[in-house]
Amino acid sequence: MSEGDGKPTVLVVEDERALIELYVRWLEDDYEVLTAEGGEAALEQLDDSVDVVLLDRLMPGMSGDEVLAELRERTTECKVAMVTAVEPDFDVITMGFDDYLTKPVERDELLKTVQRLLSRSDFADLEQELYSLSAKQAALRSSKPDEELAESEEYADLESRLSELRSELDATLPEMESDEFVAMVRDIEGESDEGGGEDR
Amino acid sequence: MSYRVDGFGELATFDAGTSVLVSGPSPETNERLFDAVTPASGERAIVITTNTDAETVVEELLDRGATREQLGVIECTNHDSDVEGVPVKQLSSPGDLTGISLEFAKLLDEDDTKPVRVGFATVSTALMYAELRTMFRFLHVFTARIRSGDMLGVFTMNPSMHDDKAHNTIRAVFDSEVSVGREELTLRGSGFSQ
Repeated sequence: MSEGDGKPTVLVVEDERALIELYVRWLEDDYEVLTAEGGEAALEQLDDSVDVVLLDRLMPGMSGDEVLAELRERTTECKVAMVTAVEPDFDVITMGFDDYLTKPVERDELLKTVQRLLSRSDFADLEQELYSLSAKQAALRSSKPDEELAESEEYADLESRLSELRSELDATLPEMESDEFVAMVRDIEGESDEGGGEDR
Repeated sequence: MSYRVDGFGELATFDAGTSVLVSGPSPETNERLFDAVTPASGERAIVITTNTDAETVVEELLDRGATREQLGVIECTNHDSDVEGVPVKQLSSPGDLTGISLEFAKLLDEDDTKPVRVGFATVSTALMYAELRTMFRFLHVFTARIRSGDMLGVFTMNPSMHDDKAHNTIRAVFDSEVSVGREELTLRGSGFSQ
């Protein structure tokens, strides 16, 4: 997610000019909006500031699937929602999409989807911290007697941060759906394939 | 909504959305898992198995009073079970966590009106294929999904197969834990009443 400057950035990729204008009107109050009328243009616009991509699946030139493949080569940070005319299966999640919207897209649905994708990035960050602290807690429990832990200020801080984190996590994605669940597991596994990353 | 569980010593009632870790040697933990995930009337059960073939899982649940249409199994063993009247999804490795989540989502999707008991036997096998960090994060997201879907999650683990740190890390994911084996069964944590 882009840091500091407030609004998250959404990149709209759509070959129909009228739809681009519509989506921009819906999004511009809350987001920094970039637009592209095709796959090649989308890849030119893509940089680290982009948090969410709305990607039309069927476009002349590069298809949405091709754009996705190229985009995933470059970054795994941003979330991509596929916009499609046909209701897809969960399988699109394993292809690398994070969510999907079925045309015609309604305003509320679009805004809700962008919001949930951003929440999911937040959730993943918190959840990484949860692992680091839980592992630390487990290591302390395995190596120090309970009496010593009970007197340790550091251990008390750790426990209070853990319980804080759990509430934050619950508040971030209170109603996780199946497609989100699959996408999150895919991301977790993807990160471990890249070498696990370091604790943070 | 809640789930009545007979099999953890005294009869226990679990709040919907709770996940419990059953720790101990695997023959016993499997028995306790089968007891706990046997669906009551009007419920369903989805079992992910890495250590027992799907035929055995289904037989165990039928013996405990389940009917075939209540069941679904994700088999991550090298068996290739074909069980009449029960959807069985095959995965080649217990480490294929994305595959497990995808098949789980599909089984869940077949009927989203009924309460679901979810069994996972066993975290220990999966830990041989995935790093502790990956497994922790997977289980955290999985139990979050169980919570959001008002399901009951029952996961088994054999602590003697892992170091203390791994067991202590994994148990931090769960609302409650029941230790099976040496002494009497003890259920600790939150999300249930006895």
